[in-house]
Amino acid sequence: MSGGVARRGVRWGGRQRFVLFSLLPVFLLLAVFVVLPIVFSVVVSLFNYNPLSHSPPFVGLQNYRNLFSDGVFLRSISNTFLFVAVSVAANLLLATLVALAIDLVPRQGPKGLFRTVFFLPTTANIAAIAIVWGYMLNPRFGIVAGLFSILGVNLQLNWLGDQKLVMASIVTLNLWQDIGYNIIIVLAGLESIPRMFYESALVEGANRVRVFFGITLPLLARTMLFVSVMTIISYFQVFTPVMVLTRGGPNHASELLGVSIYLNAFQFSRLGYASGMAVILMALLLVLSLAQMKLFKPKWDY
Amino acid sequence: MVAVFPFLWMVLSSFKTNREILLTVPPTFLPAAFYTGGYLKVLFDAPFFRWMLNSLFIGVTTTAAVVFTSALVGYIYAKFQFFGKRTSFAIILLTLMIPFEVIMIPEFLIVSGLGLLNSLSGIIVPSLVSAFGIFMCRQFCESVPGELLDAGRIDGASELGIFLRIIVPEITPAMSALTIFTFMGSWNNYVWPLIVINDQVKMPVSLAISYFNGAHMVHPSYVMAAAVLIVLPVLAVYLVFQRQFVEGLALSGIK
Repeated sequence: MSGGVARRGVRWGGRQRFVLFSLLPVFLLLAVFVVLPIVFSVVVSLFNYNPLSHSPPFVGLQNYRNLFSDGVFLRSISNTFLFVAVSVAANLLLATLVALAIDLVPRQGPKGLFRTVFFLPTTANIAAIAIVWGYMLNPRFGIVAGLFSILGVNLQLNWLGDQKLVMASIVTLNLWQDIGYNIIIVLAGLESIPRMFYESALVEGANRVRVFFGITLPLLARTMLFVSVMTIISYFQVFTPVMVLTRGGPNHASELLGVSIYLNAFQFSRLGYASGMAVILMALLLVLSLAQMKLFKPKWDY
Repeated sequence: MVAVFPFLWMVLSSFKTNREILLTVPPTFLPAAFYTGGYLKVLFDAPFFRWMLNSLFIGVTTTAAVVFTSALVGYIYAKFQFFGKRTSFAIILLTLMIPFEVIMIPEFLIVSGLGLLNSLSGIIVPSLVSAFGIFMCRQFCESVPGELLDAGRIDGASELGIFLRIIVPEITPAMSALTIFTFMGSWNNYVWPLIVINDQVKMPVSLAISYFNGAHMVHPSYVMAAAVLIVLPVLAVYLVFQRQFVEGLALSGIK
């Protein structure tokens, strides 16, 4: 008996050692490369940090004061929010519609094929495929202009070079690239709804629209919440297509915050200033996520 | 149709000459002649194989580390009690909400301080662990019955043995989904290598594409060929493993 107790004691020790030795390296990496940078970005933003100078001068809130009167920064904030709002709304709407359409296809039919095709663009290297899109959108020799001229419309639209069009082009390219994820997740959500529910509703004489708003949408709420939170976070980080195609131009019309932070930090060597931008973005996102949690809280529970 | 068209156009254009791409207005779909000069240029006049190897190396090491650490830590969060468990998990979840652009400057300073700038390690080391992976694996480990683990303990298995022989087989679907997403994320990552790498020979493929797409944009044929060579391998892998892709993604969304 006593041997058993002793052995148990050793096992507990083994368990604790296991937990400790597994967590320690992981926590260390998370601390150094994730948590520390968050704190560090606030610190850097209080300095006039420049990689060339060894003792950067402390400037307090000066970077923030300058930022709030910096037209380019304010424009990049409004660009980013506009981009996220339009893209997320379009993404959720389109993804739901496409998923509903695919869900109607019988399982024996080409359902799998549709799923495969819509997911295809997400596998493409963004930098490479963005450059391909750049050629497609070229106003002179691009295929998009070519298609319009075949249709008899002679639009010489400069999709990426016109301040009014560039954002729409980036939104479209980004949606094309990325919507497959959400289609698959929404489709999985749809498929997890028991068919029974639909059948009983149809027996009771409800039409398709009523079924969608009465049954499908409420049962999809959890999936939609997950999808919208993930999409919002990922769209705040859109960087590559803009960087590859326009570098924020023309005249800052497509400058998203990520690009602005990158350009200031690594092209103009204004690390402190760019950190200020990052901190403001973090604060905005914090407010946004808190609001989101408050808004959606009740839906999590049922 | 819309989903596939850019791929199709990319492949067709890669067999056109520079002149044909730039000067045919309006453009034609099919190349006038089957031109392979773009591919030859990309494969043999540039360190393209080296770039592929760089990307492959970064992708494989990152993915192996992320999948292993995520499964291990996810398992510990699901099945063990320890001091600071709730708080540390809340912090891990919180970091999921932080976009990369917020931390990229301090990350750069830290990696630079560690002397890892302009090296493949500089790309790999910061992404050895993934908050998302830990979260996802924890969700899956929670559904593994505790009796299974106790049975293993009674049989005298070590804790690591229990993890490897009982947990890993149970959460294989989650791990393969995580493998796919981590590798694709690494293969497609652009901003971090852009910050870390200066040397041409150390670039991963995402940066390599801009090598052909220089300031003057006069070699679209090379660019298209390079794009095909970068995009199609991943596409092929996807077509082979599409069931795992789609199911893994669906799982991560439902859980």
